[in-house]
Amino acid sequence: MSATSHGAACGVVLGIVIVIFLQQVAYLDLSDLVPALEYLILGIIVGGVIGAGIGFVLGRSYLARHELKQTPASK
Amino acid sequence: MRFFRRPAGRAGLVGALLAMAVVTLLVSVPVPSRASPISQPSTARPEAGTTWTVTWNNVDVTTASAASSALGIDFTSSANVLFNWSTGTSATETVGSAQLQMFYFGFAVTTRTQTVNNPVASSSGSIPLSWTPLSIAYVLEGVYKITASFLAPNQTTLFSENFYVRANALLGFVAAIPIVLLLIAIYEVYALVRSGRYAALGRKLAGSPPSSPPPSSPPGDSTPPTEAPEAETPPPGGSS
Repeated sequence: MSATSHGAACGVVLGIVIVIFLQQVAYLDLSDLVPALEYLILGIIVGGVIGAGIGFVLGRSYLARHELKQTPASK
Repeated sequence: MRFFRRPAGRAGLVGALLAMAVVTLLVSVPVPSRASPISQPSTARPEAGTTWTVTWNNVDVTTASAASSALGIDFTSSANVLFNWSTGTSATETVGSAQLQMFYFGFAVTTRTQTVNNPVASSSGSIPLSWTPLSIAYVLEGVYKITASFLAPNQTTLFSENFYVRANALLGFVAAIPIVLLLIAIYEVYALVRSGRYAALGRKLAGSPPSSPPPSSPPGDSTPPTEAPEAETPPPGGSS
């Protein structure tokens, strides 16, 4: 659960950063406020969802690997 | 104790970012509608049939009216902008100044104005303007909208033209914002890859706290916990 939220937070920041970076390399036009905010909110949502998914998968993977390590010690 | 508070703080940060984005959207949306008269003919009434032309280094800016056809410029070299007007008849026009404004997120990040001393009414005229945006050359690059405006002596807009420029940084990439953004992106990707470790914290919170020994063991204790060092080592913070 916390891995999911951490991944979502990273994804949100990445979404914002990528949108601004795309403007800096001339792929996006952020001159006007309203489309710029729409791009940013889209980046936040998409980045948050993808980041949450990645965090969830990585968290499950980490727990699975960690339980495999712990099993011989408990026996 | 510190690592228990960290996920909650990160969730709070996400909430704060979302709340800030929504508040900014709600508060600032009317701003362009207030600023848009810059790009529209306003209360001043120019003579009908007057021809207004703006050239950027001898290139008519109407050829760059879309972001896809933006003029390629270098922020570190000066641009010679020429504002011309002609009524075509005996009618006269009084132009007090010419202005360039570059917009980013709807706000003018830089403004350059060339004022005419003692403007007189005439049927044609031109105002040269030399612009070297060196102050932002090391900060920004990318595509920007520029508004070129003819202003009357009372600062009302007689005519304005929007066009786009694609600014290149020094050596193609040496600008502060893209470098900082790249560093942030690399750090966030690293934090995202390491985010799986936070699952152990969530499991500890939802698991059995009485069975886990308190972390206040003396330093000379000879029985180290099996998973505590890996689980208690907080992964690098992502967005703080």
